[in-house]
Amino acid sequence: MVMAEELNLATSVPYRYSGPPELRAPIEAALRQVVDPEVALTIVDVGLVYAVTVSDKQVHVSMTMTSAACPVADIILADVEAELELVVPTNLSIDVELAWDPPWTADRMSPRAKELMGW
Amino acid sequence: MQVVMHKPSHPGAPLLVVGLRAGFLMGVAALLVTGIVGGLLRAGVALPVPGDSIWPGQAVLGHAFLMICGFMGTVIGIERAVAVKLRFALGAPVASALAGLAMLAGEPSAAAWLAVVAATVFIAVNAVVVEHQRAPHTVLLLAGAAAWLVGNLLQALDSQPAAVIPWWFSFLVLTIAAERLEMTRLMRRRRGAPIALYGCLVTMLLGATAFAMSPVWGGVVYGVSLTLLAGWLMVFDIARRTVVATGLSRYMAICLLLGYCWLAVAGAAWVATSAGLPFRDAALHALGLGFIFSMMLGHAPVILPALARVKVRFGWFFYVPLILLHASLVVRLCLGAHAFDMLTLGAEGNALAIALFALTMTGAALASRVRHPSARHRRMDCVGGHQQESTRLLCRPRSPAELKAIAGTDAATEQK
Repeated sequence: MVMAEELNLATSVPYRYSGPPELRAPIEAALRQVVDPEVALTIVDVGLVYAVTVSDKQVHVSMTMTSAACPVADIILADVEAELELVVPTNLSIDVELAWDPPWTADRMSPRAKELMGW
Repeated sequence: MQVVMHKPSHPGAPLLVVGLRAGFLMGVAALLVTGIVGGLLRAGVALPVPGDSIWPGQAVLGHAFLMICGFMGTVIGIERAVAVKLRFALGAPVASALAGLAMLAGEPSAAAWLAVVAATVFIAVNAVVVEHQRAPHTVLLLAGAAAWLVGNLLQALDSQPAAVIPWWFSFLVLTIAAERLEMTRLMRRRRGAPIALYGCLVTMLLGATAFAMSPVWGGVVYGVSLTLLAGWLMVFDIARRTVVATGLSRYMAICLLLGYCWLAVAGAAWVATSAGLPFRDAALHALGLGFIFSMMLGHAPVILPALARVKVRFGWFFYVPLILLHASLVVRLCLGAHAFDMLTLGAEGNALAIALFALTMTGAALASRVRHPSARHRRMDCVGGHQQESTRLLCRPRSPAELKAIAGTDAATEQK
């Protein structure tokens, strides 16, 4: 498996991606399937995804929530896992973890999300 | 980077845990039902309740306690416990649910002190949330928990009973305001907006405090603060933007915006009641049903899956109980002030709307089960090599054409 390090600065993806280039688009597409219904935006557009790392054995996603009091975090994490299951090879395990540091800020929102929210 | 591991819970929970969870949820549902029965009996609805049982009378006497401390306090407590994932956090909803049951059993003193325990634990839980994330909205959640404790202590000590209700409502209003403040972070904030919100909420707490000494002036201040808060929410909340989306997002926004209208009505009714006008029912139920229950109807399709571990499929039918709730509130609160039979009719409509919503949620959960079998099970089946043909197809990586189609989907306008 060819490994490649690609930072968000070099791509349109608003999170750090590390792994095979051929999996970058399918993984982003899968992550964009998970929508926060309260704001009608994907978790990628809200900027909740911090990093995706694909190794020989695992797809690791680090993401956050806008609030530490969010009771639907488990549901969103499970949705991320379920969507990834549909696109990544079955020999890779999926690990989705929640990170609170650094905290989410509106700076992480995509230009499209900001436009929809009236920025 | 400091990371908190937070993996999704697996569906294969031990049978005992599933049973306890189901039993607890049924207890919470029982508190809601008995609270509603108490409210209906107060509104003059002739219900066939057992005459030799103590609970119907207790449900009438403890209607507000059952609805706010027993039901809503328990649901919010579960919600927060699910968020922080700490075992001690379950102490708050367990104590508040037991408080509701004690009230129904004719033990109001035990009920009141159990509610004090629930609020105390809930404060500790919210302190953990503030520790995780020091932000204005988490501090407001903590303030809401403190308001609940004040109301519960006043109830337990039987001191200044008139002020209990404003403090209980302050708990719910602060909790909702905190959640809305958090969502406004996604919008460009106008200068002074947070300060204006804090001004509304401090005024509300001043009104609740003053209510014990002077129900007239306390009620006026409390009512004015609620109306100002409704104006703030109308202007600054994201619902004004998400209402142009589709599906569940639009439904949630409509619930929010309707709720804000009723919050403004509630504020005016608190002022009018303080002036001696016959709008007490509007003061209590424009707030409790129009504002707070509307929030609950809006968020239940998102929150319930997190609490009960079931998914729901959203559809147009969610609007039926919502329309019924608000239409029956118009009948109850606009016509009921001068015609008791209209108040009774409106209250029946309110109860029917909540029952219909419960049915809607049940149907939506069943519909989701039929339409979306668990993806996790699909993968596990595939890994185990015993998959059916259909599941194997779902496990393979999608073709470039499929992925292109997915990436091109406008997720902002699609509900799964």
